[in-house]
Amino acid sequence: MNSLKVLSIILITFTIFAGITVPMVPQPQSIFEFPDIPGLGETARIIFFHVPAAWVSVLGFLISLYFGFKYLRTKEYNYDIKSVSAAGLGMLFCVLAMVTGSLWAKFAWGSFWNWDPRETSIFILLLIYGAYFALRSALGSDEIRARLSAVYAILAGLTAPFFIFIMPRVIGGLHPGAEGDSSGSIPIAQLQMPLNMYVVFFTGLVGFTLLFIWLLNVRIRAVSVEYQLLIKDQ
Amino acid sequence: MSEFLSQNQLYIVLIVTLFIWIGIVLYLVRLDRKISRLEEQFKED
Repeated sequence: MNSLKVLSIILITFTIFAGITVPMVPQPQSIFEFPDIPGLGETARIIFFHVPAAWVSVLGFLISLYFGFKYLRTKEYNYDIKSVSAAGLGMLFCVLAMVTGSLWAKFAWGSFWNWDPRETSIFILLLIYGAYFALRSALGSDEIRARLSAVYAILAGLTAPFFIFIMPRVIGGLHPGAEGDSSGSIPIAQLQMPLNMYVVFFTGLVGFTLLFIWLLNVRIRAVSVEYQLLIKDQ
Repeated sequence: MSEFLSQNQLYIVLIVTLFIWIGIVLYLVRLDRKISRLEEQFKED
């Protein structure tokens, strides 16, 4: 676990350095230069941070689904803790993806929010998981809360890939990868990235995934300790 | 000053991002240690 933490720090630090400082020039000559994408300019650097955040949020929702399923099968409270921790982190990264995307949209599209299919789908996803936490806080009994929220986590987790990967690709929009986009409707938006951008991009993706595992581990342990304290007090 | 800022935009962004990232890492490491300590306490009890 410790080597994983160190690796995530190293990978994300590398992504920050390379993603921000490598100059963007019209005709890149060496591996220390990124191509300048017409119309995007320096804002194209967002891909190194925004896409990993969106990916990690889907990962969180799917892990929440998995542990919700495990809870329903075994009725062990541990799985409920894991499920809610993963959903919380998924929500955090979903907000990060939305905020970074919105900032980028201001400079690339001219407005923070204009109900592009991509923006609409992430908004609905946030509403769905907002309802998940509202549901949890509304139920008093531990057992009922765990059971109902596990069922909800499964239903909500099933919609997450649909809203992130499918809906924005079926409907035409401005976001890279939308239907009719000449660069192709592939999960990772710009497939024509040169190799050096790929390396930075995938380093960020792996770094964010490892960071997510670390955060999830800390969150699960914190909630477990809190739960043990509650039991002790009673 | 404004000339300096406009010429070194990327490096200023880098420094601000690094500060935030270092803050997050330090917070996480401390939190991790504190939780480990609490877990140890529970084992002893």
